[in-house]
Amino acid sequence: MRFRALGEEGQRRLCASRVTICGCGALGTVLANHLARAGVGHIRVVDRDFIEIHNLQRQILFDEEDVASNLPKAEAAARKMRAINSSITVEAVVTDIDHTNILDLVADADLILDGTDNFETRYLINDAAVKLGKPWIFGGVIGSEGQTMTILPGKTPCLRCVVEDSPPPGMTPTCETAGVLGPAVSTIASFEAIEAIKILSGDFESLNRDLIMVDLWNWSFRQLKVAGLLGKVDCPTCRRREFDWLEGRMGSHTTTLCGRNAVQIATRRADKLDFAQLAAKLTGIGSVRHNDFMLRFETDGHEFTVFPDGRAIIKGTNDIARAKTLYAQYLGS
Amino acid sequence: MPLVRIPTPLRPHAGGNDSAQAEGSTVGEVLNALTSAYPDLRSRLFDGEDLRRFVNVYVNNEDIRFLEDLDTPVAAADEVSIIPAVAGG
Ligand SMILES: [Zn+2]
Repeated sequence: MRFRALGEEGQRRLCASRVTICGCGALGTVLANHLARAGVGHIRVVDRDFIEIHNLQRQILFDEEDVASNLPKAEAAARKMRAINSSITVEAVVTDIDHTNILDLVADADLILDGTDNFETRYLINDAAVKLGKPWIFGGVIGSEGQTMTILPGKTPCLRCVVEDSPPPGMTPTCETAGVLGPAVSTIASFEAIEAIKILSGDFESLNRDLIMVDLWNWSFRQLKVAGLLGKVDCPTCRRREFDWLEGRMGSHTTTLCGRNAVQIATRRADKLDFAQLAAKLTGIGSVRHNDFMLRFETDGHEFTVFPDGRAIIKGTNDIARAKTLYAQYLGS
Repeated sequence: MPLVRIPTPLRPHAGGNDSAQAEGSTVGEVLNALTSAYPDLRSRLFDGEDLRRFVNVYVNNEDIRFLEDLDTPVAAADEVSIIPAVAGG
């Protein structure tokens, strides 16, 4: 509040605002931390994953106890955020963001923040943001390098104006092949957070209009001019208003997970799984345990984490077809 | 000669270099000269005669799509940057 450009009025607006943070991994935990401390009134954190020990290298809201408790990331982050700032409302949503649920997750938000690790979800966020006319902030990091861009639909180029297509698998490094450094993630997420504070406090004049590109290892910082792309490129999303991801024409529901030797199978069922029943079925085939949030089943070099909506993360393979077979074998389809 | 900045993921296909000088008076000529020197780069940047859709090229700090695309003129002191989308997070 002492920061003059924000002021009392700006702080009041922050307290009255709502954001949705899509993804609560490396970028998402830094975003959640900053926004909780800044006093953003209502923060919804959405993530599909559970916490693993190797996440602690960069996912700053989590600790070893969270790993031992088998907590989903969204839930663990929400608990920390409430402990950091009891005057804000934090909502944890444990789900895989897809075209069927994204509008519900962002419709009441003043701003959408990118805490994801993949372009599929980013294009989906971009579709939803452009359709609803909501600002969103893109961030991506690999190794020591990162990019970020602030998107105001209709006023600045959207993600698809700038990145027409995502690199196909094998053409681009992933967290698995190139690693990712915590400070690089923190830097990009902090850029996102400061832009969020400007938007939520109503200072649109001071926003970044460039594609920012940093390499922390080599000390390079670039501001690439992209503003001129608005209206110049025939963008399918913001010019032609074709929402390919939102309408389910683009994007798969089964994905390999960045850096994890794991595949996610995202079948969604209307009724909740009965973990006790499933555990009884799997006992004897392998080791199985469960809490309210997940069931963990290990057998034959594979580890299944199953969520109440039927979604599963299968570790021990990068092969989508193999993962689908394993899902069918042990969990049924 | 214009300098081409090569992004991290493409360096293994460009002799490990983070930049290289390449002759030419347009972006297209410069990239042709670069990919003649490093043929491995060609298929990573181009699909036939067109740039791949996930590769963006900037002259100094301007996206060539709002200049003249591959026909954008470049002077000896200009920098051409190949910028891929950064996926992780
Ligand atoms: Zn667009």
